[in-house]
Amino acid sequence: MSLKLFRRSLWVYHLNSGGCNGCDIEVINIFTPYHDVERLGIKLVASPRHADVIVFTGPITRETLPKAIRAFFAVPEPKAVVAVGSCACGGGIWYDSYAVIGGVEAFYRILEKYYEIKPPPTVYVPGCPPKPEAIIYGIAVLRGVLKQKQRKTYFIEKEAPTLTRDFIVNLEKYSKQDKRG
Amino acid sequence: MKASRIEIFKEALKTGVVTKKYPFEPIEVPEGFRGKPSIDTEKCIGCGACASVCPPNALSIEVDAKKGVKRIMLFLGRCIFCGRCQDVCPTEAIKLSKEFELSSLNSKDLYQVVELKMARCKICGRYYATVRQILFTARNVPKDQRPLLLLCDECKSKVSAKYISYARW
Repeated sequence: MSLKLFRRSLWVYHLNSGGCNGCDIEVINIFTPYHDVERLGIKLVASPRHADVIVFTGPITRETLPKAIRAFFAVPEPKAVVAVGSCACGGGIWYDSYAVIGGVEAFYRILEKYYEIKPPPTVYVPGCPPKPEAIIYGIAVLRGVLKQKQRKTYFIEKEAPTLTRDFIVNLEKYSKQDKRG
Repeated sequence: MKASRIEIFKEALKTGVVTKKYPFEPIEVPEGFRGKPSIDTEKCIGCGACASVCPPNALSIEVDAKKGVKRIMLFLGRCIFCGRCQDVCPTEAIKLSKEFELSSLNSKDLYQVVELKMARCKICGRYYATVRQILFTARNVPKDQRPLLLLCDECKSKVSAKYISYARW
């Protein structure tokens, strides 16, 4: 899906939307010689008008919301979003604070409500802060180079022993027969 | 002393290439790295200790009184990987692995849900704790006190109050 959007190098605009600078350091870290993502064609640009991808680091505070909306509109279509860090993914430890919008998803809800804009393709990179490799992996998932490993798991307990007075008093005797107890 | 360009070039050749080939080759994670927390579904007893200690409430507990089930929900999109849940878990069911490749295109993929069955109180009949939690507690309690575990908190206090009043008379 996302592979069709961008056939050439990704240019990235990095926007701190109220984060603590932890994720910002990790985002800058992937441009250092150790992780050098410019070998993959990913380049950090200074203006959102030059960018394909906008990177949010931070829970989007009330103060940064208008700036985030302006920067978001300045990125030309087609665009994609990378939410780096737990704060941008779901609000982080400030998810219920009065001064915080609560992550990229809440930001999209505001955009849909007031501007009637559908959310662009987004990749969520959890971590506090994520490893630089995790950010590279996230961008690779966005490009469709690597497959996504993380899946939702839902476990339902099927059988549970019925609790009786006799069973719970002589628990050791019963658990010898059935090792699972 | 000012080094000439050739000397700098020689030094650079000695160092070689430091860039890691990460997306095409796997990397090693350092010792003690705190990665993705995951719940062992066989060991979890649904006591809720992890949820009460979690700073960002990434772990939350939901009691469904109609179905009689308790859900332990882990949302990685809020987790700050502090490892408190691992420290506090009585059965070592939740552990932080070394996995860090958690990126997903849909935020719903960041959930892990464990649904456990609950037991009814023998007197008032309402759901009060998971079956696994009662069995875990019963193993650490002397035999003569175990039947009290089959009652909910309110009924338990009523019954034990009755015993105390008998003793007084």
